[in-house]
Amino acid sequence: MATISRRSAVRAGLASAALIALSVGAQAADPIKIGVTITQSPPGSVVQGTQVKDGLEVTAKIINDAGGIDGRPVELVIEDTQGLPEKARAAVEKLITRDKVVAITGEHQSSAALAGMEVAHRYHIPYVNTNGWSDAIREKGYAEVFNPGNYNNHVGDAVAATMKSLGVKRVVAFAENTDYGIGLAKVIGAKLKEQAPNVEYKYETLDRASKDFLPAILPLRANPPDAVIDVMLPPAAYIMMNQVYEQGIAPSAKTWFYDASGLADYPDFWQNVKEAGKGLLVFGLYHPKMKQPPMGKQIGDAYTAKTKNQPNRLLFQAADSLLVIADAIKRAKSTEPDALIKALEDTKLTGTRGEITFSKEAGYKNHQWLDVPYVTFQLTDVNQKVENSALVEEPGHPLDAAKLWKPAK
Amino acid sequence: MGAISVDLAVNGLITGLFYALMAIGLSLIFGILRIVNFAHGEFYMVGAYAYTLIALGLGVPVWVALPLAFLFGALVGWITERTLMRPLYAGYTSWGLMRDEYAVIVTFGLSLFLINLVDKVIGPYAYRGPPLVDASRIVLGPVLISGHRLLAAGIAIAVILITAALIKWSFWGKQIRAVSQNRLGASLAGIDTARASSIVFMLSGGLAAFSGALLSPVINASPDVGAFPAIKSYIIVVLGGMGSVPGSIVASLALGIIESFGAVYLSYQYRDGFGLILLMLFLLFRPQGLFGEKGREV
Repeated sequence: MATISRRSAVRAGLASAALIALSVGAQAADPIKIGVTITQSPPGSVVQGTQVKDGLEVTAKIINDAGGIDGRPVELVIEDTQGLPEKARAAVEKLITRDKVVAITGEHQSSAALAGMEVAHRYHIPYVNTNGWSDAIREKGYAEVFNPGNYNNHVGDAVAATMKSLGVKRVVAFAENTDYGIGLAKVIGAKLKEQAPNVEYKYETLDRASKDFLPAILPLRANPPDAVIDVMLPPAAYIMMNQVYEQGIAPSAKTWFYDASGLADYPDFWQNVKEAGKGLLVFGLYHPKMKQPPMGKQIGDAYTAKTKNQPNRLLFQAADSLLVIADAIKRAKSTEPDALIKALEDTKLTGTRGEITFSKEAGYKNHQWLDVPYVTFQLTDVNQKVENSALVEEPGHPLDAAKLWKPAK
Repeated sequence: MGAISVDLAVNGLITGLFYALMAIGLSLIFGILRIVNFAHGEFYMVGAYAYTLIALGLGVPVWVALPLAFLFGALVGWITERTLMRPLYAGYTSWGLMRDEYAVIVTFGLSLFLINLVDKVIGPYAYRGPPLVDASRIVLGPVLISGHRLLAAGIAIAVILITAALIKWSFWGKQIRAVSQNRLGASLAGIDTARASSIVFMLSGGLAAFSGALLSPVINASPDVGAFPAIKSYIIVVLGGMGSVPGSIVASLALGIIESFGAVYLSYQYRDGFGLILLMLFLLFRPQGLFGEKGREV
């Protein structure tokens, strides 16, 4: 029978203890991988993708500098979707199966979100939608999908309320031919019927790859509507705006130009629209004069220090997406999908724009932060920075018509 | 004729002129070199960026930036021909069998390379080129048009006519036409076919870039801006007859007017579909196009 000495037993015990300690230490330092799908190359909106990426990186750094999530750093694993549904689907598959991420976030285009979330649903991995506005994302009712960002019904309500306040009678929307554009254009119509049934409304779907929208714009010249609504994203939105302006339709003394897509805080906005942007009414999810929680200020300052750019709405939407995931992991004390999804459902977190909670109602409210704050502001001069624009509607308040400006002709 | 019809006719003709300027370069390459250039749209994109960055970034006057954009496009065309296209007619017999595949793969790769190069080096943001004139609205009877659009249409007519005249009557134009008719025969007659090919690529690249530059205040330069003109150009080249410059011009104007009226009186949704329907009809019933000639190879 083999025997071991007391000294050998002690040595073996110490070695085992050291190994356990080392493995625990290693586990404690293991990063928590969060998958990110964004557009980093055309044809999708690279501008949006860049803003989301910057927002997530700034937020991850703040979390990690504060000790990470229970001592474990956050690691972002980023995949480029080009804004294409098929690429988004493949990216989420790769992030889950190869990179073993615990949650997915960052998506900022509805079509890509609708494709990517199907894969997350199949693998039962939490999917935090950063900026997909399409209500179809919520209406699927997936347990894994959470929406701290804006949604079409919310914009529809805001647009209808603004149109009612402006007292317009005839409204035309130009919508891009995507899930986002067509979905929002339809929602605006439905909300106008509810809030301002006397308003005559129609929308025209425009191909976002096209460069000449004049055939859709020219028929408006003989009898301009009271308001034109933009439901398109750059660069097509810029081309449409310029052509509407060149035809003398809007902004004009007769016709308001309302931007429902939040274009004005894009860094390339003024370079591309010039005079066509003067007088534009903008639906905004961020304005420097808005009241924000301390986390919003901290993220905004860190973003400006990193990029030299002024904060924008996508920065805060991206930050909130990562913050709710980090908060859920911390409360769940686990990265297991079931525990994480349960924790996300119970979210009550003060993020960068307010207190975030997720609705448990069905339909477009499913897992949606319903009270996303929004503003309406007006650009009253060419090259005007958002911070100098006229804030005509603050969160939770009606539009102040006395602050509005209109061109002389 | 109502005011809206005049508006649509003028807009259709101007759009057609812009299409013609985009398509002529592609038509030349296909007609003379028998190469399908999938990177043609990116030559256009290069011109739009060159003009915008030279004018806005370096502060060069727009009337200098415009020809510089042409030269830049010609340079890109020349480099493309020298580095990527020469193997096609370098005398390797084995290349003859895979000539079409080679051209498609190489130019498709070049297209992706240029898009991603611009995206990474210059950035994803759109840039609106500076207009040639500041007047944003000019009233011509029932038509309201921006000064730049009107001037660009005039310049497009001049450039198209000069190009057609050069190809028809100039010494180099005659050499190019000889190469297009019979490459071997032209070579036996003492024509430097390689140089003729270089000139065609330079001219094609220059015209596409010039077109991009001229339209950058209207369509805003972005890395993927070339997709739209490339698709339109392919339709026009087939409709007009592959390799026929007059055919391309007529097809461009016709397509511009059909799209303009069709968008209003039929459906805006299917506006880009009208060209594709015409393309299918032509391929079925007149595959040689409007001005092309029937040919057969054995």
